Amino acid sequence: MSAPLLALSAVTKRFGGVTALDHVSFDLAEGELVGLIGPNGAGKTTLLNCLSRLYRLDGGSIRFSGMDIAKLGRHEVARLGVGRTFQVVRPFRSMTARENVAIGALFGSDRARLPPREAFRVADEVIDLVGLGGRGHLLVDELTVPDRRHLEVARALATRPRLLLLDEVMAGLNPSEVAEALEVVKRIHASGIAILVIEHVMQVIVGICPRVVVLHFGKVLLEGDPSTVLKDPRVVEAYLGERYARRVRGSRGDG
Amino acid sequence: MRSRVLGVVTVAAVALFTLLPLTTTDPARAMGLPALLDRSQLRGLTTISMFVVLTSAWNIIGGLAGYPSFGNVAFFGLGAYATALLTDPDHGHLPLGVGLLASPLVPAVVALVVGFPLLRLRGHYFSIATLGTAIAFGEVINNMDFLGGATGLFPPIIRSDLLFYYLMFGAAALTVGVTWWIMRSRLGHGLVAIRENEEAAAVLGVDTTRYKIIAFVVAAALTGLAGGVFAGWNSFVNRDNVFPVDYSVQMILMAVIGGSGTISGPVVGAVGLEALIQLLAGGSGVYTQILLGVLLAVTVIFLPRGVIDFVIGRSRLTLAHFRRSLRQTSV
Amino acid sequence: MSLLAQQLVLAILLGGVYVAVAIGFSLVWGILNIINLSHGAFIVVGAYITWTLFGRLGLDPFLSLPIDAAALFALGYLLQRGLINRVIRAPVFFTLLLTFGVNLAIVNLLLAVFTSDFRSVTPPYAGSGIVLGPVVIPSIRLAAFAIALLLAALLSLLMRRTRIGAAIQAVASDRDAAQLVGIDLRHTYALTYGIGAACAGVAGGLLSTVQAISPTAGEPYTLQAFVVVVLGGLGSVTATVVGGLLFGLIEVFGQSAPGLGAGYANAIAFAVLVIVLIVRPQGLLGR
Ligand SMILES: Nc1ncnc2c1ncn2[C@@H]1O[C@H](COP(=O)(O)OP(=O)(O)OP(=O)(O)O)[C@@H](O)[C@H]1O
Ligand SMILES: [Mg+2]
Repeated sequence: MSAPLLALSAVTKRFGGVTALDHVSFDLAEGELVGLIGPNGAGKTTLLNCLSRLYRLDGGSIRFSGMDIAKLGRHEVARLGVGRTFQVVRPFRSMTARENVAIGALFGSDRARLPPREAFRVADEVIDLVGLGGRGHLLVDELTVPDRRHLEVARALATRPRLLLLDEVMAGLNPSEVAEALEVVKRIHASGIAILVIEHVMQVIVGICPRVVVLHFGKVLLEGDPSTVLKDPRVVEAYLGERYARRVRGSRGDG
Repeated sequence: MRSRVLGVVTVAAVALFTLLPLTTTDPARAMGLPALLDRSQLRGLTTISMFVVLTSAWNIIGGLAGYPSFGNVAFFGLGAYATALLTDPDHGHLPLGVGLLASPLVPAVVALVVGFPLLRLRGHYFSIATLGTAIAFGEVINNMDFLGGATGLFPPIIRSDLLFYYLMFGAAALTVGVTWWIMRSRLGHGLVAIRENEEAAAVLGVDTTRYKIIAFVVAAALTGLAGGVFAGWNSFVNRDNVFPVDYSVQMILMAVIGGSGTISGPVVGAVGLEALIQLLAGGSGVYTQILLGVLLAVTVIFLPRGVIDFVIGRSRLTLAHFRRSLRQTSV
Repeated sequence: MSLLAQQLVLAILLGGVYVAVAIGFSLVWGILNIINLSHGAFIVVGAYITWTLFGRLGLDPFLSLPIDAAALFALGYLLQRGLINRVIRAPVFFTLLLTFGVNLAIVNLLLAVFTSDFRSVTPPYAGSGIVLGPVVIPSIRLAAFAIALLLAALLSLLMRRTRIGAAIQAVASDRDAAQLVGIDLRHTYALTYGIGAACAGVAGGLLSTVQAISPTAGEPYTLQAFVVVVLGGLGSVTATVVGGLLFGLIEVFGQSAPGLGAGYANAIAFAVLVIVLIVRPQGLLGR
């Protein structure tokens, strides 16, 4: 077997007293599709932030295609081929959808720097691919909530990544929108891009991920194929405990 | 269609401001043209051009990159001092042309050096730190004996209002041209992305540090050029006339009133506001300053996107528009 | 040695002045997230009120402090209610601009009324001091120091022990939740800003007894307040007190460093500012 595309070893991240990531290790191969699940606050988003070098690690290392991410700038990680979405979307609000996506195409890759005109052509392609076709001229504020999620994906995809990190891009979508989004993810994967997908919607994980990693309190609880993992008592408890906690919080009115 | 109109307006404005000064009293007589302007009006036009430079240059870092520097006057002062030092008979005693070459360079180098720590700061911190930088630079220069201390420097007097008008107008045209070029280039797209969301820009591959520094250095160089021309024109520089904090705020006000982040907004703001100030009081009265304060308040509250947005953007001159925009920002 | 002791005393007393200068600024910044660029102008207004009352009515400058506070509170309340509340949710840069506009208007109104001449308030006891061995403690500065700390203590009490304080804290920590429990946002914001301005007024009254004042003297105060808050850290009265005292030490000993002098006061302040911002952006006591 060749070296993995992404290799995490003992990744650790603390916020004051909270250890958000505690010796997290796993690999991801070129072109692989892996699900990352775990209850609220498990550390999933934090892990993504470490992967895209928005955070500095407090321990361990992350290697992407053989390079140590800690030694790179944020933009260099992106140009090396790590694309990501944000759980809370972060569009460029003064721009149209098309311009948003063009930024990804303009800056995303060192391999072939696109001139602006070319970048807009790529943007149009990607916009069609994620199902935003015909709405590229709209300002971000004029897009629906699901479309803003699509825009996040499109922007990341326009950087022509080798690894795409998706942070709950389907949360809050209705079933038919989820099905649509699933198709998009499958299409992206089919084009040879490796994907790490964070999702609470289990249907997604079971439906498309051959392998999942479960994070709980910042630790890797389990890793394996979804049907086995989701039946594991430890995973059930992690989630049930969470759901219970959520119910309590909900009844206090601040959930 | 709209861009065609803009093009025609631009060409007409450039032609007008190139030719009109030839009708100032003295040159007009020499060339047999009608005298339409007097000297003080020409000097007024020169000052307007100067503010176009300052405002448009500020717009590159403050409007495009979204880093509202409150210290750009430092670059004006540094440029002025660079030119003054090289041309002052007691110091460099070099020709004005050589002195002018240094005026963008010195501030650019300074911006490069101070930009690294300053541009790591955001929001309030960036604004106040730049304000502090400007005050500190003025103060240090004011204390340096070889720069003439509080007395200042005295470049040789060159009596040609027309020359300095064209120099300043050239600097303004250059600044607007540079802005135009930036907005069409990769740099401009990157800067706007940084303004809208810096982390999102970074994970899409924008080298945010480098771009912010470039914007800061370009703004500094252009601002410094205006300072250099001012030094030659005024033939006297000291802290009080080339490091006034008020200029920093004036350029921001002009950019915001016109519409920051656009090419034409800062130009419109600078021309409109400076013309108004000159009509009112020759530029320095206490009441003019009070009026500026009030204008600042009115602009910030009612025209956050600038007047140009009513022409090229989405703002409409209706009561409903103002209501909506107020509701968005108030409690 | 005795020179050092004397400098130390003066530095601490100066620190007290900085505490007074910064305390209202810190409140407004911490609660409203507004960098109040008109803070220095408020201080100067307070100073002119004290000066006027002293000159016209012979009122002792320390007795005019409550009047400074009341007048500035009213001014601050109205400004926030009428103007600043309208842009409070705009990008922070807009509140910066708005308060600068207010600053410009106030300073130039003062120029129109009082001219640019320097004024000072000199009560009969102005030159007196307490002699402690080799060290002289100027009594006015000592009184100003004491009042500055008293002001800090009062503000701290107000924030922790009163309904107003509780409302202000609630608004600062969660605007929407505060509104849900029935707190009037506009009024609370205006109160906060008014209290900040009142503190500035008191600071101005104190300053008029130790420095000459002029309408344009305010700008350095704003910068100093900013530096003090950055130094101590945002969010508590204690942090501001620590920041102010520390800044007094830095100023006095910084200016007596070889090659520097009083002409470098702002440059030193600024250098401290940038160093702190880069090394420890949350300030010394900040979280
Ligand atoms: N910037 C931060 N500062 C302090 N604590 C943080 C920060 N970011 C995350 N945390 C903490 O780290 C832990 C992990 O948070 P994270 O956002 O990674 O969870 P998550 O798995 O993405 O949860 P969710 O499913 O709700 O998105 C939480 O306890 C959170 O409070
Ligand atoms: Mg998350």
